[in-house]
Amino acid sequence: MGADSEEKRVGVFICHCGLNIAAVVDVKKVAEWVRKLPHVVFVRENIYTCSETGQAQIYQDIKEHKLNRVVVASCSPRMHEPTFQKVLEKAGLNPFLFEMANIREQCSWVHGHDKESATLKAFDLIRASVSKVVRDEPVEKIRQEVKKEALVIGGGVAGMNAALLLANAGIKTHLVEKNPSIGGHMAMLDKTFPTLDCSICILGPKMVEVGKHPNINLITYAEVIDVEGEVGNFRVKVRKKPRYVDVDKCVACGDCAEKCPVKLPDEFNRGMTIRKAIYIQLPQAVPAAYLIEEEHCLRLKTLKKGGKEVCGLCLKACERDAINFDDKEEIIELNVGAVIIATGFEIYDPSQEPKYGYRRFPNVVTQLDFERILNADGPTKGELRRPSDNKPIKRIAFIQCVGSRNEREKGAGRYCSRVCCMITAKQAFMIKEHEPDVEVYVYYIDMRTAGKGFEEFYQRGRKEGITFLRGKPGKIEEDPETHNLILVAEDMDTGVLLKNEVDMVVLATGLRPPQGLVELAQKFHLSRSEDGFLMEAHPKLRPAETPIDGVYLAGCVQFPKDIPDSVAQAGNAAANALGLLSKDYIEMTPLHPVIDLEKCIGCGLCEINCPYKAIRVVKTEKGKKAEVIEIACKGCGVCGASCPEGAIEMKYYSDKGIEAMIDALLEKKEVEV
Amino acid sequence: MANKSWKPSIIGFMCNWCSYAGADLAGTSRIQYSPEIRIIRVLCSGRVDPKWIIKAFLKGADGVIVLGCHFGDCHYITGNYQAEKKIKATQEILEMAGLEKERLYLDWVSAAEGMRFAKLVDQFTDKIRKLGPLKLDDEKRKKLTAALLTVSNDKVRWVVGREFSIIKDGNAFGEKLVPYEFHEQIKSIIKDNLKKSLIMAVLKSGPKTVREIASDLREPESEILKQLVDLMRLDKVEMGGVKDRNPLFALKGE
Ligand code: FES
Repeated sequence: MGADSEEKRVGVFICHCGLNIAAVVDVKKVAEWVRKLPHVVFVRENIYTCSETGQAQIYQDIKEHKLNRVVVASCSPRMHEPTFQKVLEKAGLNPFLFEMANIREQCSWVHGHDKESATLKAFDLIRASVSKVVRDEPVEKIRQEVKKEALVIGGGVAGMNAALLLANAGIKTHLVEKNPSIGGHMAMLDKTFPTLDCSICILGPKMVEVGKHPNINLITYAEVIDVEGEVGNFRVKVRKKPRYVDVDKCVACGDCAEKCPVKLPDEFNRGMTIRKAIYIQLPQAVPAAYLIEEEHCLRLKTLKKGGKEVCGLCLKACERDAINFDDKEEIIELNVGAVIIATGFEIYDPSQEPKYGYRRFPNVVTQLDFERILNADGPTKGELRRPSDNKPIKRIAFIQCVGSRNEREKGAGRYCSRVCCMITAKQAFMIKEHEPDVEVYVYYIDMRTAGKGFEEFYQRGRKEGITFLRGKPGKIEEDPETHNLILVAEDMDTGVLLKNEVDMVVLATGLRPPQGLVELAQKFHLSRSEDGFLMEAHPKLRPAETPIDGVYLAGCVQFPKDIPDSVAQAGNAAANALGLLSKDYIEMTPLHPVIDLEKCIGCGLCEINCPYKAIRVVKTEKGKKAEVIEIACKGCGVCGASCPEGAIEMKYYSDKGIEAMIDALLEKKEVEV
Repeated sequence: MANKSWKPSIIGFMCNWCSYAGADLAGTSRIQYSPEIRIIRVLCSGRVDPKWIIKAFLKGADGVIVLGCHFGDCHYITGNYQAEKKIKATQEILEMAGLEKERLYLDWVSAAEGMRFAKLVDQFTDKIRKLGPLKLDDEKRKKLTAALLTVSNDKVRWVVGREFSIIKDGNAFGEKLVPYEFHEQIKSIIKDNLKKSLIMAVLKSGPKTVREIASDLREPESEILKQLVDLMRLDKVEMGGVKDRNPLFALKGE
């Protein structure tokens, strides 16, 4: 039975949203006007339409008043459209015979000072929705099979935890990490606040677990290069760089590196020690294997230029025959139902603010550099010595909020990075523990220590004799002879200008969105918040989901956070992914177009313009015609908006529906406030 | 000029993923802005058909604003590039037809830019207030009807729809084209088409002579005659009798 032949019976539910709407929009009046609209057979005001009772009401009213179309005027459809569509389905209606009028975000909340206009606008929006819904036709959902595998991008503490949770639940999980080893920033830390656990001691076993898990396919030294598909069926291409060392054969003995003649700064120790061109990222690396860095290896460089097979010292040194100069880059194609993004953060580079002298003055370091200095595997083997001359440190200063809470500096963030205060508290505490006589000064604006056990820890530090000074030094100067650093700052608590000469300065550098995040976000069509991190689906209720179904967030890629919060979010992301992957198939909104074969002349403009190759021209008995690949289509409607023959019609959100809205919005108003 | 009580009618097309979300954010952040705008949600700015825009003006809109995602952010990769071409062409058509192209505006707003959303809406509303009501007299209606015919014309839709891909990938022969030059070609196709559409809009009110059409459209008679010959070849216009010894032209089948 065609939808046209039946009588259209529209029910309109207008929400007060407590006072959120009703305080501005005169809901009663709007309801009165709406009652007079054609096809509207029933109108109800609700205090909270989205509540259990509100939903039950809709259900009942559909049954009682034989409604076959529903309009809800309340909040944004981006929030509750699925909620109400479910009610329709339950009541036996096609869920697409439904419209929402956004009278909260677009009326009451933004025109609070002009109640009259807000009321009129609310009516207009409802009228448009009614006009559209009576022209809408039922459409059937498309079924999408769910591929029961998951992809986690980023092997830091968040990504590892997410992968483990999924793998333990029996899901085959691919973990892609851009570095040669998993572990992320946490592996570089000496201790963790406020419990002072040894970071690698708690992380190391997890790394091993990830590496050995039968359900985890670990792909290191790799990056995602291409993404296609949608929830339940993402097709992801991963480029794995050649390591030139066979991971299965290598036992990480290190004989090769001993012989390698190429010396390079070791990134893991923040450039304060030397590594070779064949190296292992960290002693606890997973996979526990060396690799050759292509750009620096003498042999690979010469071969690339067409030269001879030079050097090869590592080849000779390796007893296990693990070195393979013929290794090639690999493109791995994955097909997964869900994706968790956990690519973490990058630390702010303070060298863009010359006043701090970072990189100019050897004794100015960042918190992450200092983590390595504190660490027994670091450049000083855990002894408190400074970089310029390896002398023991006697006086040290911390400067807070470098690259955070900074509106002026371009590369800096306006936000608080959340962890730097506690890192300073921890590092200062560690110094006192190593050498109680060292004088420690902390220059800060506010100390932010919100978290379980954080404030207590900070207060303990104060008692240990750490000096906290409110005020930030305008700049750092260096005594060129001694390489000591001179700080001048106003102590805002006393108003006194203080000059301070110290052996070393640690900058509490903020956390920034990682490099490549823009490109990754584009591949998945994700939005970024103003701070540059990835945007969650809802800041309160869906903190680990994204607006894109099947793509979830874990850890600092969403916003700076500490380790427990990263782990917690990873759990949330994994639980969401599991929820999805526990289904055999999902139902999707049919957004694809239909082609009017009478009108279509097979010109192919749609095929050229479709970003998803979801429409193509094929030969038929009636000549060339366009054909839609429904499951590949994402519903943008570009094809319809430019079809020369007007032969393409979107099923959901049709031209008819939109033109009906335009008409309704511009109709003369016969109402008065 | 606008009188005090006049409130402009403004239609906004917002894409679901960025600008509509930006509008929502303006809401949740309680950022106040001018209340005249009426928003229609579309999935992508590239979905907005120029036909809708002209129809909105014909129905009495004083302004139309289209907001999409910033370049690189479109949920559908290139939809906003497509939108840019279509909206630009529509603005040009409005201008060629003698209407203020400022009544149609395109810009980009991300899901995080509630503030920017409100600012753009305020600015646009102000601009429309200054321009005053569109006042659809016969003259304007004729022009808009011609504009609607033009944006519905298959040839115009083809070249406008092709602009983005041709500039990106080159033409069928693999030649790269200079965007400016190619756009000028498109413009001349549009112009030619609009002239025909205007003639057809004039003929809507009954058969006319070349001179009558020419004076109505303020174009040289030779130009009108040329277009009429084309229109006859396209089967859109036919001879419709004689008036004062001058031939009359009429819309075919009317
Ligand atoms: S989705 Fe926003 S412009 Fe395409």
